[in-house]
Amino acid sequence: MLAYRNISFVIFAVVIFILFLLNIRFGSVDLSWTEVINSLFFSNSESGHGEVIILQYRLPQAITSISVGIGLSLAGMLLQTTFGNPLAGPSVLGISAGSSLGVALLVLMGGITGVSMGSNSIFFGDFGIVVAAFIGALAVLLIIIFVSGRIGNAVTVLIIGIMIGYLVSAVVGTLQFFSSSEDLHSFILWGLGSFSNTNISQSLTILILTLLISLTTLFFIKPLNALLLGYRYAVSSGFNVKILQTVFILFSGLLIALGTAFTGPIAFIGLAVPHIARSYFRTSNHSVLIPAVILFGAGFSLLCNLISKLPGYDASLPINAVTSIIGAPIVIWVIIKGRRLDIG
Amino acid sequence: MEPDKTLLELAGVDTGYNNSSTGIKVLHSDIRCKVKKGEFIALLGPNGVGKSSLIKTITGMLPSLTGNVLIKGKDIRHMSNREIASEVAVVLTDKISDTYLTAKDVVLTGRYPYGSFLGKVTKVDIDKVIEGFEVVGAKSIMNRYFYSLSDGEKQKVLLARALVQDTPLIILDEPTAFIDSPGKIQIMSLLDQLVNNHNKSVIITTHDTDMALKNVSTLWLLGFNKEFYSGSVSSMVEQGIINRVFDRDGVSFNKNSLRFENI
Repeated sequence: MLAYRNISFVIFAVVIFILFLLNIRFGSVDLSWTEVINSLFFSNSESGHGEVIILQYRLPQAITSISVGIGLSLAGMLLQTTFGNPLAGPSVLGISAGSSLGVALLVLMGGITGVSMGSNSIFFGDFGIVVAAFIGALAVLLIIIFVSGRIGNAVTVLIIGIMIGYLVSAVVGTLQFFSSSEDLHSFILWGLGSFSNTNISQSLTILILTLLISLTTLFFIKPLNALLLGYRYAVSSGFNVKILQTVFILFSGLLIALGTAFTGPIAFIGLAVPHIARSYFRTSNHSVLIPAVILFGAGFSLLCNLISKLPGYDASLPINAVTSIIGAPIVIWVIIKGRRLDIG
Repeated sequence: MEPDKTLLELAGVDTGYNNSSTGIKVLHSDIRCKVKKGEFIALLGPNGVGKSSLIKTITGMLPSLTGNVLIKGKDIRHMSNREIASEVAVVLTDKISDTYLTAKDVVLTGRYPYGSFLGKVTKVDIDKVIEGFEVVGAKSIMNRYFYSLSDGEKQKVLLARALVQDTPLIILDEPTAFIDSPGKIQIMSLLDQLVNNHNKSVIITTHDTDMALKNVSTLWLLGFNKEFYSGSVSSMVEQGIINRVFDRDGVSFNKNSLRFENI
């Protein structure tokens, strides 16, 4: 059993590496494998045409894709465990919408705040968007915590999360109505979601921060497992569950905001990947689930990004369309094939 | 002071809720009692009288309105969850809805108050868990998914979880509910075994009054007028306190048959 898991982990790591290379290789401009290998592993200069494309566009895109895939998947897992709700996820609970509101407030009021969304914006601009996305995500999360503290029923919390999502989207819509067309244009582009809006230093920043938070979650395997038995059993296992729940919610808020700020809200990864990981390894034990979610998150995101580039040459599909088209059937399949989802 | 074998003491405890909008609601007031080592107690009372609230208060999940809950002489309010977890283990009525946890995973959480915060599971943990499954006679289902077990098997697994927590006191909220008659007898004799062979103190809440009267040594009774009684089974029966708490509309507790009967 253990050996089977370890072999699976190794195989998935290899698959991710191959997906990573494929992501670098394919795109609107046709490049050769030689160019890919040379610019990734042997050259620091950006002399050739291909090298520029790879190092300035495709590499950051692939790194961002990996980071956001990991971040959203882990956030989804943390939310599902913390709320004891298999249908929790960044988009379902309105948290991504909260992030959008934060960014909308900042960007659509651009005239006042002086922040622009171009990929070349100054550090303060990036930083401002991350902070805005984080505050927005956290605000929604705080409402959800407040609600779920009063109402134990997971389904009710879910419905309230969805309602908050609608509410926040409506506010964003209203903001859009009153904003200048330039700001609106960049906000709508952001809202469509894309892994291609980051430069190399931004993508590496997201990666490092995501990995830092991911590694930190490995210190919480026991309390996360205890939470699977429910709030009171977790308390009886000796944990200060209130504080831990707050920590997990902060982690997920950070992970969601980190990705969302740079890529726009990305659908389905956060909800789908934990289910795929659980049903593949047939366990909810976080000592297996956390590494599995990290690997599957990176792989799933790279796969979606690759598929979005498949029309090739001029156009690429919106990433959200791809994640949903792949993600939704997977979740349905998991539910039908796997077990009943108990959400009473 | 006498050489004290008292594990748990309730010193003038009021149970109930202090809600900012609805105000203070006292369920039972001035509860005074002690739990000694190796004592087997049944907490009885009609539906909705506040048994679960008392259990929550004893386990530190609900603060007492007044008075002190003392575990080995220490006020529960000044104890961390981890300290409480090494003295009191619980089997609750809460449903565990996860579908990918094995019985072993569930029992392992009973070892979490010990060892490091990290995910590492030690040899001692594993040995304890296997021993726990052996004691409750459920070793064959150790690797099955918890959700797929019958209610009786689930209860045994949760009992094993409480057992591996290595606490002197185990509290079970309605351990025999939803379990068929042979299963109920199995659970009760397991608890009996824990008290007699493993020197544990056990408190259960139950609606299976006649079974409780046959097995336990001490009764705690809760009535609707905020009253609390405790004493040996025979004294509670003789003094008619069971009648005082339970009797209603033509149904009465018969002291001779130890059963509820129509009058």
